[in-house]
Amino acid sequence: MNGFVESGLSEDNFGEAKGGLASFDAFPKTKKTYLTRGRDSSAWTVTLILTCVYLAWSELSRWWTGNTTQTFSVEKGVSHDLQINLDMVVAMKCADLHVNMQDAAGDRTLAGELLRKDPTNWNMWAQGKNMHKLGEGEDALPGWEELWDVHDQLGAAKKKRKFPKTPRARGPLDACRIYGSLDGNKVQGDFHITARGHGYMEFGEHLSHNAFNFSHAIQELSFGPYYPNLQNPLDDTITTTPDHFYKYQYYLSIVPTIYTDDAELIPLLEAVNRDSRHPGRSVFQSSHAIKTNQYAVTSQSHTVPDNYIPGIFFKFDIEPIMLTIAEEWGGFFALLIRIVNVVSGVMVAGGWAWQMFDWALEVYGKRSGSRNGGMGMLGVFGGKEKHSFD
Amino acid sequence: MPAKSRFTRLDAFTKTVEDARVRTTSGGIVTITSLLVILWLAWGEWADYRRVVVRPELVVDKGRGEKMEISMNITFPRMPCDLLTLDVMDVSGELQMGVHHGINKVRLSPESEGSKVIEVKALDLHKDEASHLDPTYCGECYGAPPPTNAIKPGCCSTCSEVRDAYASVSWSFGRGEGVEQCEREHYAERLDEQRKEGCRLEGSIRVNKVIGNFHIAPGKSFSNGNLHVHDLENYLKDATHTFTHNIHHLRFGPQLSEEVIRDMQKKQQATGPGGWTNHHLNPLDGTLQTTEDKNFNFMYFIKVVSTAYLPLGWDSAPTRPAKYDELLGATIDGNYKGSIETHQYSVTSHKRNLMGGPDSEDGHKERIHARGGIPGVFFSYDISPMKVINREVRQKTFSGFLVGLCAVIGGTLTVAAAVDRALYEGVSRVKKMHSN
Repeated sequence: MNGFVESGLSEDNFGEAKGGLASFDAFPKTKKTYLTRGRDSSAWTVTLILTCVYLAWSELSRWWTGNTTQTFSVEKGVSHDLQINLDMVVAMKCADLHVNMQDAAGDRTLAGELLRKDPTNWNMWAQGKNMHKLGEGEDALPGWEELWDVHDQLGAAKKKRKFPKTPRARGPLDACRIYGSLDGNKVQGDFHITARGHGYMEFGEHLSHNAFNFSHAIQELSFGPYYPNLQNPLDDTITTTPDHFYKYQYYLSIVPTIYTDDAELIPLLEAVNRDSRHPGRSVFQSSHAIKTNQYAVTSQSHTVPDNYIPGIFFKFDIEPIMLTIAEEWGGFFALLIRIVNVVSGVMVAGGWAWQMFDWALEVYGKRSGSRNGGMGMLGVFGGKEKHSFD
Repeated sequence: MPAKSRFTRLDAFTKTVEDARVRTTSGGIVTITSLLVILWLAWGEWADYRRVVVRPELVVDKGRGEKMEISMNITFPRMPCDLLTLDVMDVSGELQMGVHHGINKVRLSPESEGSKVIEVKALDLHKDEASHLDPTYCGECYGAPPPTNAIKPGCCSTCSEVRDAYASVSWSFGRGEGVEQCEREHYAERLDEQRKEGCRLEGSIRVNKVIGNFHIAPGKSFSNGNLHVHDLENYLKDATHTFTHNIHHLRFGPQLSEEVIRDMQKKQQATGPGGWTNHHLNPLDGTLQTTEDKNFNFMYFIKVVSTAYLPLGWDSAPTRPAKYDELLGATIDGNYKGSIETHQYSVTSHKRNLMGGPDSEDGHKERIHARGGIPGVFFSYDISPMKVINREVRQKTFSGFLVGLCAVIGGTLTVAAAVDRALYEGVSRVKKMHSN
């Protein structure tokens, strides 16, 4: 409608028909003298306006929420390492614990040298306020993970990336907090915590079986870059046992996942993922995308006889299919078009409904006097506008 | 207006008598503009309707008892062909020793001379070298039991058969000194001659679609009970041999022709970001790994995911003749319009020195490699239970297109009417003010 602006606002343009362009006018206007206002039509107009506002509002809120799309692809590129972040407390003395990792490539990682071990008090952690057993509490609610929107995940990932310090222990130092990050091979593997002298051959005095207590509380177990605020299934879980010879086994399936709130970034993200030396690799440090790993877990625990090895074992395997979760916002222009669509639709439909109503009244003969011609498609506008301009 | 029946009153499209109509220039401009807008939007709708996008689906792979083709092209610039052995093993107990299926060994000149192709041979070496022999000839096996697949039962007619016989009882063979067959075939001389050469393995093998591994290692292999052993003597004797390798391609499933790939990529572009992103890319293609250490082991952990690509109208297209499934290294060309069944994979690479010890070279001094094993290149593959189906779809049906078209026309006209009305009323007010 810019053409109109360019042609200027000179009065001549709006005069009565003068041939030329005016003959193209598909919207013939009716002189006011020919228009009447329908009975109750102002109430009707108000109803229509309210409907419009309601529908436009719902359209707006849908636009505001955005929609989340999940795509999957087989992970490209040649991978090497997988970072493991661990923060857990075991109810045994640090000196008595062995932390190791073994994987399908035949490598053994001395995790104990990479992770920090701080002596602490068990009860202090066991009574932590968020602690729960795996599969209980809010875990038991089906689909609780749906509560996490992409922007929540991205927001959570922005927070600090350091492990918190071990608080000063109140009470005896009967437990050990093991925390830190380490790199493993990105293959099927087994991360385990065992007691000194049980499991690995070594010299040294034999550890009394009564010192065994593999009760543990996991604050954090995640794979990939460390984002403490992202919620993982094993975070804040606790299990306790009175038995000494007890074995905990966790089976984890790791699914590489990319979260992004900008779908335009996806090709770049894929490219970076494929080639770790890609020039755009800093994109995962931006606030628009993170690369992490989700996992599913099942756990199993039982007492073991004396000839077996007690301990805490995490067996993990990596799924080949990568999830990309993108949140998209339709453009503002698209929103505008939708709102215009809704409003005009309501107007037209409302005009017709009004006519039907009018006609129905007449048919039932509830009306005495004759009524002038109904309003056409544009009549609603006409009626409304006339009202406001008078 | 003439008298009206009840149904005439129902007319939603009431007409105004011509005399009562006012046509204005502004109205004309608005009409033409809105017509242009309609044309533009309708064209967009049409383009949307014609667009083919690719939607990925994830299903559980229900195919069973399938075979899978592994196609490879790997260069070993510092390993002579005579030393290389390819073994395929799977967990179902099928051990395909020394695979003889559709793989060519290409002898390459020494690296210093530019690794040019000298000779192409099927993996099956020394096949008919004993043909000139006296038909009654029965070679000695030097104490080892004769191989079951010997040309002449109970005899070791060729050097290769003596080697097989030795391998079957886990004896090391060496250079064949004192073995009549080998001296006749100049085995030792050939080994010496080829010492500096390289080798390229190209071709395909067909395996059961179960977890398994294939590896390329030096020397004849033999299985002794649960143990799989390679005869490393000749490999270790010579300092120049290493398992430096260059993977030109490694593919699971049939080859797709350039044309098919280009078509797929075009469709992927049309889908836009956030849609389908699986172009058929094999992550290991173009991988070069070098080592100066002969006791070096490269491992690739591969997870294979079945992938189907269903073009538009794939179900009405004629199916691929069954002979293509039998044929190794078949290519799917651009004329084929049916479903394309292939595999994608994700891979993790790992390398270690056979001496074991900490991995301080890569900056992981706390990571301790296992000790022992065979030098070579190992590919261990696992089959994912999921299958990815990429389906070409039209984003809109024809009726959807019609609905969109009506929405465009109706919406634009309504908005234009409102604008026009506002203009008209506004101008008449301005006029009135001026005249007053």
